[in-house]
Amino acid sequence: MSQHARYYRILWRDTCLALWLSLLCFFVLPVHAAAATDSTPDFAHPVLTIPRIDVQGYGSLNLSLVLESEPSMTFRIASATPAAAGLNPGATYNLQAQELTIPSLRVGSQFYSAQLRFISADRLQLITTAAVVLPGQTSFQQLCASCHGSDGLGGTVGVSLKNCSNCGALNVLSTRINNTMPLGNPSACVGTCATDIASYILTAFNASSSQQTGQALAAIESLPLDATLRNAALHLVGRLPASAEVALVTQKGEAGLRQALDGMLEEDAFYARLAEIFNDVLHTNRYLSTNGTEAAIGLMRRFPTARWFDPGVDLRGSDYTVNRVTANNSVATEPLELIEYVVRNNKPMTEILTANYFMVNGYSAKSYGITGINFTNEWDPNEFRPAVLSGTPHAGILSSLMFLNRYPTSATNRNRGRSRLVYDVFLDVDILALDGVRPDGSAVDISSDAPTMENPDCVKCHSLLDPVASSFQNWNLRGTFAPPRTWYTDMFQAGFAGVSAPPRSSGDSLQWLTKQIVADPRFDDAMVRIIYTGLTGHEPLDAPAASAPQAETEAYLAESTHLDEIKAIYVGANRNLKTLVKEIIVSPYWRADGLNNVAFSAVHEETGAARLLTPELLHRKIEALFGFQWRGPLDQYAANRNVFSSARLLDTRQYYHQIYGGIDSFTITERLTDPNGLMVIVQERMANEMACYAVPNDFLSTRTARRLFPHVDTSTVLTSPQGQAAVRQNIQHLHRYLLGEELALTDAEIEHTYALFATVLQQGQSALLGAQGVSESTSLPTRCMRNNDINTGTSLNVAGGVDGRLRNDNTYVIRAWMAVVAYLLADYRFIYG
Amino acid sequence: MDRRKFLQALSAFGVAGTLPMTLGAPAWAAATTTTTQRLFITVNASGGWDPTALIDPKGNAQRADGLGPVNNYAASAIKTIGKLQIAAYPDGKAPPATDSAGHLETFFNKHHQRLRVINGIDTQTNGHETGTRFVWSGRLETGYPSVAALAAAPYANQPMAFISNGGYDFTDELVAPVRTASAATFTSLAYPNSQYAENAALRSQSYFSDKAYANVQAARDLRLARLRTGETLPQRAAQMAQLEKVRSGDVKLDGLLAYLPAQVSTGLKGQAELAVAAFASGLAVSANLNLGGFDTHGTHDDDQTDALTLLLEGIDHLWEQLVLRGLQNRVTVLIGSDFGRTPFYNTGDGKDHWNITSIMAMGAGITGNRVIGATDANFEALKLNPDTLEPHSSGIIVTPKHVHRALRDFLGVSSELDKLYPLNVERLALFA
Repeated sequence: MSQHARYYRILWRDTCLALWLSLLCFFVLPVHAAAATDSTPDFAHPVLTIPRIDVQGYGSLNLSLVLESEPSMTFRIASATPAAAGLNPGATYNLQAQELTIPSLRVGSQFYSAQLRFISADRLQLITTAAVVLPGQTSFQQLCASCHGSDGLGGTVGVSLKNCSNCGALNVLSTRINNTMPLGNPSACVGTCATDIASYILTAFNASSSQQTGQALAAIESLPLDATLRNAALHLVGRLPASAEVALVTQKGEAGLRQALDGMLEEDAFYARLAEIFNDVLHTNRYLSTNGTEAAIGLMRRFPTARWFDPGVDLRGSDYTVNRVTANNSVATEPLELIEYVVRNNKPMTEILTANYFMVNGYSAKSYGITGINFTNEWDPNEFRPAVLSGTPHAGILSSLMFLNRYPTSATNRNRGRSRLVYDVFLDVDILALDGVRPDGSAVDISSDAPTMENPDCVKCHSLLDPVASSFQNWNLRGTFAPPRTWYTDMFQAGFAGVSAPPRSSGDSLQWLTKQIVADPRFDDAMVRIIYTGLTGHEPLDAPAASAPQAETEAYLAESTHLDEIKAIYVGANRNLKTLVKEIIVSPYWRADGLNNVAFSAVHEETGAARLLTPELLHRKIEALFGFQWRGPLDQYAANRNVFSSARLLDTRQYYHQIYGGIDSFTITERLTDPNGLMVIVQERMANEMACYAVPNDFLSTRTARRLFPHVDTSTVLTSPQGQAAVRQNIQHLHRYLLGEELALTDAEIEHTYALFATVLQQGQSALLGAQGVSESTSLPTRCMRNNDINTGTSLNVAGGVDGRLRNDNTYVIRAWMAVVAYLLADYRFIYG
Repeated sequence: MDRRKFLQALSAFGVAGTLPMTLGAPAWAAATTTTTQRLFITVNASGGWDPTALIDPKGNAQRADGLGPVNNYAASAIKTIGKLQIAAYPDGKAPPATDSAGHLETFFNKHHQRLRVINGIDTQTNGHETGTRFVWSGRLETGYPSVAALAAAPYANQPMAFISNGGYDFTDELVAPVRTASAATFTSLAYPNSQYAENAALRSQSYFSDKAYANVQAARDLRLARLRTGETLPQRAAQMAQLEKVRSGDVKLDGLLAYLPAQVSTGLKGQAELAVAAFASGLAVSANLNLGGFDTHGTHDDDQTDALTLLLEGIDHLWEQLVLRGLQNRVTVLIGSDFGRTPFYNTGDGKDHWNITSIMAMGAGITGNRVIGATDANFEALKLNPDTLEPHSSGIIVTPKHVHRALRDFLGVSSELDKLYPLNVERLALFA
């Protein structure tokens, strides 16, 4: 609670009404008129709304009063309209005394009784107030507020209850509370307690704030649809939009955009991006061969054919290394392949945990010793199919060898690490961030036999953590299904959300657990969080602290309400992840391009999907725009294109992947999201090198085939009006092509770029003449020369044919354009996406 | 609390606009030069080391509870070097050569006079993530920056103020962490306009003439300023402002290269070489080094010994590099790990996680050849008298929070930063 709110409460108790209202106006109440959709009268400064009051002779009215004078606490009747049907009277009117009595007036998340008296025909004065405690309010504060927040906005563990889309009707919510809440201790609140709390939640936290949220969303200026299409194509599939996709958007607007997105979400490139997004939270790529040639195979000691590719040192053929690395990586990526399989086949995302199978390709099937799978091509590393390991009750990702080894257990840990991760990734609950629960500052009393079950300080977390941990009991340290003879009795037994797992004889508790997890609404929250974070580069806003500024609360309410709507659409689409991706892409939060109302600057401080591109995203953007990757001079490109270690933004050891904020999923698991001193030099080098490679290369092609220079040639100079116009037109094209900027030819930015071109050209031409003691060669910089075919590596100077090489820049035009392209490639709008 | 809020908080303290603010004078400053920056290195033994195999040895006496011995070496083999007790090598494990810098006796004979050991620290957890967070930030829960980041925070305007090699490097946006790579990579970045940065003879062959390059850079800076001015989306405006700020820093990587060995080592030694070179060239003030291999749930004696050997070799190499650059009196080094390992073996000859651990400190301001804190025969922490720091039954258990309280005082972390991440716990003179 803020200091202001605390102050306000004290004063209220002291019935210092005038001062209270004054404080109310300035500090406490949101500056908006709540559009109450329930029967409870509501005061949201400066409007007091009574959804229904019955007045003899006037019928049932919806009364709206506006606070006119704070010192005198007088209200003016702003409107009186027929009340909506189905509401209960929220106030009574005493004709004789001319007094209006409101037994329960909502002010924020607090409730008060109030009496107003008519002082003229359309004015009333507040004469008495008193705090009201609603049924369930005290129990809520005692049992629920530590997780859901005293204001219902949630916290690190509990989801927000504000406008909650999955609360359901009173009976639904009360049943859920009765059966599952508080988590880990549902017997603490059953029957009337559950009903009262449900009623309180629906009354106190679910008065619609849609008007407020709507205003916040309306303040966002969204990117035009064509620009959204370009950004989506670059992000999701690493390419520019096809002309057919552009036409779809032009002809059908947002519907066309959705149609274009549908197509993208079927492409292989999208699944590569999806794997990155999920690996950023799972880090199972720790076992790729880049972290040890047999990092994954080394975990397969119990599989006799794990190293099927090795016939023995003396018998190894030329395919040994390829098969070894491919087999390893096929095993390593299995959990991410499962996600791809589920999404690609439009299955509900719940199946990533409930799948009673795992994924193999021809290479990993051999390592696992699995036969009988009808691969179209058993040597195609991309052909993954579902399979079952004999005697293994698969439980989706959670039973994956990679997951279980990435998050190992021990005799002392007892799967608690695995449990914590399950909560974090699949239930959107960070147990370690449970405020005010974990003992801090003094050693924990662990003197009892089972402190995690007996010490209240421990029980708060372990009652959540340990039932899930115990559900992993059949999976050992090495990730093998190996049910123990007995399980620990000094920890909470297998279960979830207060429900015990069935006896061991009725099946694997992990399989049971996955079914419970996917039935929990927080699993959907987790999927929304993962995809939203992957697409925007930042996590959804956390619930604000009680003392947070109003703007922070409004920001959270607006965003969480919008994400709830998106979640509902995703859930309604059978939890098809493609729907979720699509809805986030078209949402104002992904398309945010500016604000049309500066009053909302604080609310939208974090809004938007602009992000420093990850090394992988930048790598793909470069290829999408230039047709080749950043791997060094193009004369050697044919030889380098398939050599991993030549990819400047992907290789960690010799090049820039790690420096540019990438992760190896092993020792480095957090991406850098803000640039540092070294990263801006990487950007600079990228811009220099790519300008050097791309500009001469583009001039090798005919004008119509060029990506960068469709309006000029190497002979186009500035000595004629036509030449000047062509240069401006090409600069306009470069801004559009490289940065996605739509600029008029008269735009100042065109002139700035033109000035750079002209200056470099003029200085360079002077230097070619050796003027002012400065001399430059007519040769291009050596690494910018184009001697060999980019695809084949053969010489462009074919004997007996035309010399197709480009080695010189006699007019300095190529180098002037290189300067322009380097200028644009290190631009904010290129390196951020 | 992000950097923006940090600055707001500084404003509240009346010191906004003074960045880079100076830290308070460290306690040991009078003993060294007063005109130079304090430098700081943390070395993380990632995975949870076993102090009983290093500087809190127990020996192979059978435990009373039947869980076997703590260690697989005789108690009589424990060595006393100065005031430090040093473990022996496990039976059946061939020790490294005695001339190896990573050999226990060799290392401690050489360094014990500068090493301070704190034993019996209770991390209150056996989870890796929580353990590393607590050990390196002083807080069990999320939200506090690593002490290495805290040390770099006042110098956040330096483009490479904080070098991170992984491990716990949460900065809370007080300072941008910089990750490193090979020497060749640094060379290519030291000369971004050179076509042949790694070849000194050809280095002058550039992509752009100096004039053209200056024009490009100037135009780029002006364009960024224009974009920021016209931006209405706060998130993008903030990103542009940050990019402007970082670009305005002057990263003289060629200076760093001058201090790098011709052939940069791999592993922890390589991390040490880069950190020291960055210190020597004035680019960095803080670094965290990171070495894995300590999570020895199986074949503990073999694997833990190997990991400790690499760790000690790396620390020795770090020290030699500091001496080579004349920085040994300016750099404080703190060595620690997620937690400890069980004082008994599991069925796979491994050791699982244990909440008790140790740390070692050396370098600037540290008086060595001293051990504070203790554990009992079963590697349980003993309580300490907070005044005398001697074991006392009615004393307190030392946690990483105590360590960080003392460390912040020792390092002279400003009160502004200290208030942002409060550590309300007894003040122990652990580093005094």
